[in-house]
Amino acid sequence: MKKRKRWNLLWYTLAVLWGVITIMPLVITVLSSFKNNNEINIGLFKLPEQWRIENYIKANSTANALGSISNSLLLAVMTTILVTVVGMMAAYILARKKLFFIKPLYLFFMVGVMVPVHCTVVPISNIATAVGAKDSYWFIILVYAAFNLAQAVFLYTGFIEGIDRELDEAAIIDGCNDLNLLTRVLMPICKPILATEAIFVFIYGYSELIFSLVLLSKEEKYTVSRAMLGFTGEHSTDMGPQFAFVVMSMIPMVIVYLIFHEKVESGMLSGAVKG
Amino acid sequence: MLAGSSFYPQRLQMEVASVKRKRKEYAVSIIFLAPALALLLVFIVYPVCDVVYLSFHSWKGLFGQPKTWVGIDNYVKALTSAKFWHAMLNCVWFMVGSFVVLMPISFGLALLITSGLKGTRIMKTAYFMPVMLGTTAVALMWTYILNPSWGALAELLRFLHLDNLIIDWLATPTVNVIAVVLVNEWMYAGYNMLIFASGLVAIPDTLYEAARIDGCVGLQRIRYITLPLMKNTFKVFSILAFTGSLKVFDIVWAMTRGGPGDTSSTPGIILYTQAFQYKLFGRSSAYSVILLVFGVALSLIVNRVFRQENDLYA
Repeated sequence: MKKRKRWNLLWYTLAVLWGVITIMPLVITVLSSFKNNNEINIGLFKLPEQWRIENYIKANSTANALGSISNSLLLAVMTTILVTVVGMMAAYILARKKLFFIKPLYLFFMVGVMVPVHCTVVPISNIATAVGAKDSYWFIILVYAAFNLAQAVFLYTGFIEGIDRELDEAAIIDGCNDLNLLTRVLMPICKPILATEAIFVFIYGYSELIFSLVLLSKEEKYTVSRAMLGFTGEHSTDMGPQFAFVVMSMIPMVIVYLIFHEKVESGMLSGAVKG
Repeated sequence: MLAGSSFYPQRLQMEVASVKRKRKEYAVSIIFLAPALALLLVFIVYPVCDVVYLSFHSWKGLFGQPKTWVGIDNYVKALTSAKFWHAMLNCVWFMVGSFVVLMPISFGLALLITSGLKGTRIMKTAYFMPVMLGTTAVALMWTYILNPSWGALAELLRFLHLDNLIIDWLATPTVNVIAVVLVNEWMYAGYNMLIFASGLVAIPDTLYEAARIDGCVGLQRIRYITLPLMKNTFKVFSILAFTGSLKVFDIVWAMTRGGPGDTSSTPGIILYTQAFQYKLFGRSSAYSVILLVFGVALSLIVNRVFRQENDLYA
């Protein structure tokens, strides 16, 4: 019994230690976002003498923080919807139909998972120039969706294959067509995997960097990552607003996380992510 | 006779119906698959083909400008450049970090949150948070923390009277790569914690129970039950670690831009700067192809290694 207690104590020490390592940087960043350079120099762990909201206002006015955050949110939401709908449609066929081209297509999607995103930057930028889609959001949404699709199709197909086929047959006897079967019967059952994958696609869409560097040139179209990087490059003298921008960029994600974290955790714990 | 005469038309009807059904199956399948296939063909298959084509040409990246055939020149230049091998070495740092730092931490955290101790729910939520914050934000946050003159780490070290350890971490070669690797592990520890935890919760309690009766306790439990049964989870982790290390871009770009003097660059950064800063699109494409080949090869090798082990012990 005593030994058990000692183990528990060790576990708790480690738990708190990693908790501090995880949370402390965030606390420092939030505190610094309310300080001026002087206070940042004096000590990062101290509370600010005066809570300077103006840092946030300055981050917004000089770096278009709110604008870029809403741009990124728009991209993230659209990408997530597109990946979910298109991916689910494909996964349904791949998991349920027995036609001669299904197996090769499935392998094709699997290979798609292995292609590193950056390898396609040059051709995709060329396509964008050719069709006049630089600075256009629909193009960047399609690109983001394409790069998340293979993984999503792979996960959804695996999940649907785990659902009993008798359910489909019962639904078909009740007069369900393919679309109804997919949307009314299978989608609700797939919710855990859809939620988990949706969150990761959302993070990707919100914070993606390389394509936003290559495909966007107008400042009002910048995504949050791009705007933040530009801001730190140009205004390296005044630190408070930079911290404020970083904090602002994190707020939507923290909100999303707090709402959905249980779904994500349970989705991942059930083994949603498999290569 | 009577039964027979009605039998034939019925069968014919059934056949017609089945052909119709089959045709409908095809139509539905094609319609449902079309959007996904179109996206993949346009944004992955075509670019991969194009990048292979470009890698044998010299091109300044101006639209409509001719591309001149240069054979394997781009590959020769790419593979003989010290910059490239240095970037590959940095990838190795990321891989080593994944297995030496990230794996033990994530596995430990996974054991912790599945241990049934009080408070695991809040731990889980807190530990997983960093991956949600976005790579650029995390990178910038740590860049500030690692600032040698006013950053939090320097302040902490001063407080501990370890002033001589304070250097400009992100500007010192090798140290900067290690710093970025560690920030990367900080970000993904919680994510991989859940991957390992998913393997842990899949192991039935009865096995541990049986082992306990056989006198297997403590670390032995982990050695003889947990680890062998989690082979698949380790495979997932390994694939993610290897392929992830090859395609690192965001976090390095946001923290150091690959600098100073390319000391912290990765293949992803090289292929980006070659194309969009130096306008060497052919060279950049050669790097892309090399990276692609490495990535696919690594995934296949990891798959093979784990499959063989399964065959041996199954």
